[in-house]
Amino acid sequence: MKKKLISVLLICAAAIVAFSFSACSGLKSLDVVGKESITSFSALLDAVGDKVTPDDTNGGWSLSAPDDTARFIWSKDYGKSPLHDVMLELDAQPFIGAGLDTSKLPDNIVFYEGDTMGGMGSKMLMVGTKLGNDELKYSGNPTPLASYEQIVSKYRDVISYHAALDHYGVNLGDGNLFEWAKDMSKNDKDIVFVLNPQAFIDAGVNVNAVEGWAFAKVPVDVDGKPAEVDKLLKPFDLK
Amino acid sequence: MENQVLSIRGMTCAACAQRIERTVRKLSGIGQASVNFASEKLFVEYDTAALELPTIKEAVHKIGYEVVESTNKANVTIPIGGMTCAACAQRLEKVIGKLDGVTNVSVNLATEKAAVIYEPKKVRVSVMKNAIEKSGYKALEIVGSDAADEDRARKQKELRTLWTKFAISAVFSLPLLYIAMVPMLTWVQLPFPAGLDPMAYPLIYALLELILVIPVIGVGYKFYTVGFKALIQRSPNMDSLIAIGTSAAVLYSIWNTWQIATGGFGAVEALYFETAGVIITLILLGKSLEAASKGRTSEAIKKLMGLAPKTAIITQDGAEKEIPIEEVEIGDVIVVKPGAKIPVDGTVVDGHTSVDESMLTGESMPVDKKTGDAVYAASLNTTGTVQFRAEKIGSDTALAQIIKLVEDAQGSKAPIAQMADIVSGYFVPIVCAIALAVGIAWYFGSGGDIEFALTIFISILVIACPCALGLATPTAIMVGTGKGAENGILIKGGEALETAHKINTIVFDKTGTITEGKPTVTDVLTTEGADADNLLQITASAEKKSEHPLGQAIVLGAQDKSLELLKVDRFDSITGRGIEAQIGGKTILAGNHKLMDERNIVLTALETDSDKLAEEGKTPMYVAIDGRLAGIIAVADVMKASSKAAIASLHNMGIEVAMITGDNKKTAAAIAKQVRIDRILAEVLPQDKSNEVKKLQQEGRKVAMVGDGINDAPALAQADIGIAIGSGTDVAMESADIVLMRSDLMDVPTAINLSKRTIRNIKQNLFWAFGYNVVGIPIAAGVLYLFGGPLLNPIFAAAAMSLSSVSVLTNALRLKRFKAAHNNVPVNSSNFTEYEERKAA
Repeated sequence: MKKKLISVLLICAAAIVAFSFSACSGLKSLDVVGKESITSFSALLDAVGDKVTPDDTNGGWSLSAPDDTARFIWSKDYGKSPLHDVMLELDAQPFIGAGLDTSKLPDNIVFYEGDTMGGMGSKMLMVGTKLGNDELKYSGNPTPLASYEQIVSKYRDVISYHAALDHYGVNLGDGNLFEWAKDMSKNDKDIVFVLNPQAFIDAGVNVNAVEGWAFAKVPVDVDGKPAEVDKLLKPFDLK
Repeated sequence: MENQVLSIRGMTCAACAQRIERTVRKLSGIGQASVNFASEKLFVEYDTAALELPTIKEAVHKIGYEVVESTNKANVTIPIGGMTCAACAQRLEKVIGKLDGVTNVSVNLATEKAAVIYEPKKVRVSVMKNAIEKSGYKALEIVGSDAADEDRARKQKELRTLWTKFAISAVFSLPLLYIAMVPMLTWVQLPFPAGLDPMAYPLIYALLELILVIPVIGVGYKFYTVGFKALIQRSPNMDSLIAIGTSAAVLYSIWNTWQIATGGFGAVEALYFETAGVIITLILLGKSLEAASKGRTSEAIKKLMGLAPKTAIITQDGAEKEIPIEEVEIGDVIVVKPGAKIPVDGTVVDGHTSVDESMLTGESMPVDKKTGDAVYAASLNTTGTVQFRAEKIGSDTALAQIIKLVEDAQGSKAPIAQMADIVSGYFVPIVCAIALAVGIAWYFGSGGDIEFALTIFISILVIACPCALGLATPTAIMVGTGKGAENGILIKGGEALETAHKINTIVFDKTGTITEGKPTVTDVLTTEGADADNLLQITASAEKKSEHPLGQAIVLGAQDKSLELLKVDRFDSITGRGIEAQIGGKTILAGNHKLMDERNIVLTALETDSDKLAEEGKTPMYVAIDGRLAGIIAVADVMKASSKAAIASLHNMGIEVAMITGDNKKTAAAIAKQVRIDRILAEVLPQDKSNEVKKLQQEGRKVAMVGDGINDAPALAQADIGIAIGSGTDVAMESADIVLMRSDLMDVPTAINLSKRTIRNIKQNLFWAFGYNVVGIPIAAGVLYLFGGPLLNPIFAAAAMSLSSVSVLTNALRLKRFKAAHNNVPVNSSNFTEYEERKAA
C-alpha cells in the first residue's frame, strides 16, 4: 500500500513538475485563449475589411471604428514604434466637450492636434503602452494578423479573455483595453474601445456627458478575480 | 480426567440443578459436577476409563431432564478491514447472514469485527471470508487474544496508512484549493502566478487542477471501489455518497475542461476539482481522527491484552529454562521471581509471596500466596520467589476469559442501538433520493442553472453522515465496558449496560455480599446439664461435611478450641434448614427454627436467648441430640467495610435497597438496621430467592440482584440485572450480567453509575448524530438560501460531516474520565434521612 502511495505521489509530482515547465515555457498547444484569439482576430480583420490600414506614423496597423472616431493601433516592430506598441487613438472633442482639461491628463494619455482622419476632428487623444523594444521578425511580409500574432507570441500576458462579454481583449495598461467578440455571430458588441474613466474624471471630464461613449459598470476579472469596475465604453456592432 | 459441558433442559429452579448435581456425582468415575441454572449447563469432570458420556446423559435423562445434543455450532470472530459506516456493517451482516449454515451474525463497526455463530458442517470460515471480500471489504486474519500484538500492529498500520493518505491528499489539495479560491477572493490580495490566470490561461488552469486532483482521488480510491460496488449491489453506504458526490464534481469539471479546450473558456468558472479534492481530504482527515479515537475506545482491552508476560521460566530437569508463553503446558512448574508477572493460572507448590492482583481485580492491596493458593496470569509477584504448577493456559486463563468477556460485551449491541441501526439501513438510499430530487427541483427552480443544482446535489450527499449514527452506540459501549473492566467491573453486554441504568431496586444477598461471608462462632449456650465444648465438638463434627458457611464457621470454632472432631456415621444436608448426622449412635440435628419445629423439638428453654442473639444480628443455630434440645451455637458474620457506604450511595441515587437472607427475621432486621436496608426479605430458602425477586418485579420495579453467583444463580437469572460479586469463577461469570471482580460493595453503585453515564453518553451521541443530519441536510438542500440565507459550499459540508463523527467519538471518549466511587461517599445519617424524605415525598 505504502509503495503504491509513494508511486502515485512520485508520478504526480513528476507530472506537475513537467506540466509546470511546459506551462512556464509557454506550451502553445495549451494556450487556448492565445491561439483562439488569433483566429478570432483574423475573423475581425476580415469583417472590418478596409477599416484596417497601415499606420506609418505609429509604425504599425490601424483598425478604425465604423464611425472613425476611434482607432486601435498595434505595432509591427517594437524597436521602431515611436511612442506605444499597442494603443487607442480617440477623437478628443467629446471629452473636451464634457470638461476635459488636457493639462491634467496623466503621462500615458497624450493629447495632440493633427491632421483630421476620417470622423475624427483635429484634436486627438492617444492611450497606450510600450510592450518592449524587440525588433520583430516575420517569415514573410508583415501583415496586420502577423503583427497581432507577434503580440500573442511575445507579450501573451496583454491578451485576455473577458468571460462576461465573451470577448478577447488587448490590455493597453491602466485598465484601458481594446476588445472584440470571440464569436461575432453571437455577440452584439463586436468591437469595444474601453477606457478607464478615472484619469478623465481627474482631468475634469463629466463621464456621463461624453458624447458617443457610455459610462457603465462592467464585470471584469482583475488578476483573475471577478470584479465590477467603472468603464467608458464605445461598442460597435459590425453586422 | 476429561471436562465436558452439557446443555440441560427442563430445569425450573435451583433445586433441579442440585438434583442433577447429586445424581451425576453419584456415578462412579465422576470427579466434579456442577450445574449452572442460569446458563442451563452441566459442567462435568469425569474419568473416561471408568465412565462414558452417554452414561452421564442417561442418568440425567432418567431423572426427568433433557440433555440437549450439541448443535455443532461454532463461533468465530472475523476482523474486517475497509468498513466506513454503519451501512457497511449492515450490508456485511446481510451478506454473511445469507450464507447457508450461518445462524447468527453481528458486525460491529467500532471493533471492526464480525461475530458469527455457524454450523461448521455447512459453512466454512473461508466461505464467509470470501463473501466479505466479494462485497468489497477485507477479511483479515482471525486473531486470538494471544495474538493481540498482531491485532494492535494491524490497527496501527491502518492508522498510519490513513494518516499517510491524508498527508498526500492534503499536499495536493492545499495548492488545489489555493489556485481555485484565490482568484475568487476579492477582499484579499494573495500572490497568484500570472501564468495561471484562469481568464488568460483557462486550459492550463483547468489541467493543473485536474492534475492536482488525480492523486487525491488516487489515495481515496477506496471510496469509489467500495462505494460504487455497494451502490451496484443496491445497498449504498457512506462511501457511495462520497463517491457519487465527488464523481459528479470531477466529471462535470472534466466536461468543462473539454469545453475550455474546445474554445468554451467561460467554463473555467464551472470547475469543481477543488471541491472533490478537498472533500476527499477532509473525509480522510475525519477517518484518521476517527480511527485514532476508535483505537482509544478499545484501550482498556489493549491494556488487558498487554498484561500477560511473553515468557515463563519453567523448571526442567532441575534447571530453570525461559520459554515463550505459548510453549507452557499444563503441569509445568513455573518459577516466578519478585517483580515478575505470573505467566499463567496455577497453584503455588513452593514458596511464599505477596501478589498484586490489582490489574485483574482492581484491588490495590497485595494478596499473600502460599502453597496451595491459586495464582492468576498477569498478576505481579511482589516479594518472594514462588513456584507454581500451571493449571490453565492460553484461552483458559482468568485473564483470557476476562478479555473474552469484555470483548464480547464490546461487540454486543444495546437495545438503544436498534433505532440507530434501523435508521442507518434506510439512511443512504433516502439521502441519495433527497439529493437527486432537490437537485432536480433547484435545476428547474433556478431556471436551468446546472452548476447551482450540482452544488446542492453534492452538498446534500456529502453532508449526510451515517457514520456518526453508526458510531453513537458502540463506541460508548466500548468505552463504558472498557472503563468497567479497568475498575474490576465486567459488564457482559450492551443490554446489561442499558438495563442497569433503569434499576430502582437492588436486592443484596446477605452472606458473602453485605457481610464478609466468613462467620465465626460468638456464643455457645447449652441447656441444663450439657457442656459447651462438648456441644461445639459434636456439632462441628456433624457439620464437617457441610459446605454451608455457618457449618464451616462451627468447624473452625471447634478447631480454634483444639477440639477433636468425631467420626460421623451418616450425614444429610437439609436444604434451607440445616443438617442431620449420626455420631456414635446419637442423632444430631443442627439448624434453624423451622428444622426444629418440623422435628418437634421443644425450644422453650432457650427461646428468649435465641431472640436476644438474633436481635444482636447473630444467627442462632439450634442443636438437638436424640430429639432433645442441647443448646444454641450463635454465629455472626462481619459486615464488609464498604457495605454501609455502598448502600448510602445507592440511596443517594434513589434506589431502594433490599436484603435477602435465610436468617430469621430478627437477625435480618438487626443487620439491616446496621447498614440501613430499606426492605428485608428474611427466612427465604435458596430456591425461593428467585420468587422474591419476581414479586418485586411484579410490583413494577426494575430489580438487580447482587449475590455470589453460585447459590444465588436462580435469583440472579430472574433479576433484570444479576450482579455476581467478589468472584472470578466460571460459574459466576456465566450466571450474572455484571461480574464484580472484587468483594467491594462500592462497585455496585459504581456499576450502576457507569451504566447511567454510558446511556446518557449514548443518548447525547444519538442526539448529535441525528440532530446533525436533521439540521445539516436541509441547509445543504438550500432551505436557508430559499429565505435569503447563505448556500452551503460542499467543502464546508464535507468538513462538517467529518467533524460529526469526530464529535461523537470525542463525546464517547469523555467516558474515559469516569471515576469509580470507591469509598468516596460519606456515610452519615443525612444520606439516609435525605433518602427517606425523598421516598416519603
